[in-house]
Amino acid sequence: MGVITSRQLTKSYRNTEAVNQLTVQFNEGVITGLIGRNGAGKTTLLKMIAGLVKKSGGDLSVFGEDPLNSLKVSANSIFVDDQLPLPLEFKVKDVLKEFERFYPNWDIELAERLIRHFSIDLDALPINFSKGKRSTFNAIVGLAAHAPLTIFDEPTTGMDYSARQDFYRALLKDYLEHPRTIILSSHLLNELEDVLEDIVLIHDGQLYLHETVTSLKEFAVGLTGDSSELSSVTSKYEVLHKKDVGLNQQYVVIETQLEEKDEEHLKKMGVQITPVSPADVCVYVTNRENGGIDDVFNRSKHV
Amino acid sequence: MILNHESMKPIYIQIAEWLETEIIKGSLEVDDKIYSQYQLADLLNINPATAGKGLTKLLDDGIVYKRRGLGMFVTENAREQILLKRKNETLKVMVEDLVKEANYLQVSNEELLRMIEATRNKRGSD
Repeated sequence: MGVITSRQLTKSYRNTEAVNQLTVQFNEGVITGLIGRNGAGKTTLLKMIAGLVKKSGGDLSVFGEDPLNSLKVSANSIFVDDQLPLPLEFKVKDVLKEFERFYPNWDIELAERLIRHFSIDLDALPINFSKGKRSTFNAIVGLAAHAPLTIFDEPTTGMDYSARQDFYRALLKDYLEHPRTIILSSHLLNELEDVLEDIVLIHDGQLYLHETVTSLKEFAVGLTGDSSELSSVTSKYEVLHKKDVGLNQQYVVIETQLEEKDEEHLKKMGVQITPVSPADVCVYVTNRENGGIDDVFNRSKHV
Repeated sequence: MILNHESMKPIYIQIAEWLETEIIKGSLEVDDKIYSQYQLADLLNINPATAGKGLTKLLDDGIVYKRRGLGMFVTENAREQILLKRKNETLKVMVEDLVKEANYLQVSNEELLRMIEATRNKRGSD
């Protein structure tokens, strides 16, 4: 079931479309990762869903309503990014107290426990925090709100590795206790793919793919071996990525899984078959038109 | 149980195989309750949908049965079924790989069998 549904949704800033006729659906009760390159339109989309930005065209429905100026949407959702505007004189403990008034499911006990775990001072002013600490604080607030729709836009910006691991773990544990719709945009898909159920990949303001993490892991396979051996087989498949990895050795990523007889043949030829992570799949499919970074340096191509 | 992300095996298959191994070892016996989807998710730090997929596979294969509202339990002939499947699938593939490598290295049949025997003797009955 789609708790969020968009059809031909568009947001233009002057002459550019940040979100361009995007049709997508986010499933209720699912943790979805929103993935895309810088400037793909992730933040704009999330802000429209949260009712913070006005759409330029198309349809958008959240809990059955247009989210802009919707009381229902603002009461049932929280949007967390690295800003989370707060009054300047608010201490951590003031924020914890005030949020209780806005969010009916506010879990003050969880917030306090997390604050303690991350060694955040209750009397400190969030505006004085370092980037990572501020992100951690915002993420805590986002979790403890227990909003039916919880949106995190790049929640781990500036967090160190250990804080990020703790956040993913806290997110999962809290979700197990309080299942709800969670959308999380991030560039660190490798780190958090295990806690996600769905992945939505957007590119140039449009939907590129919407898959479960499980099927995205089987979306492509990597083959490493002798170039001529490989090309005899890979010509049948859609090639997503190709790279020289030694004398007459190539690494080729193909879409879909290998047919059994091809797999046997390649194995016999000593070709290594390896999985391709969802993060790499996302890079390869969005690189398709422009080529990879190596092509920038491949001057012979531009003559 | 540690998940292997570099493996070609999907996570949910790894979970199913892990629970099967626990049944072979006898840590889980007939009619024992196995982990719930949520316990597995917590234990392995994975999304409950992935954990649920692993359990569904065991259910489909007849390794566990479901009791409404109570959870999933090990079926009567689960162990035999797993042993048979491992022999016919996993072991067969390993033998194929072994033979392939032996041929590649020009190891004779007798030599290969001697190596297997020596390894079995050394390892005893584990």
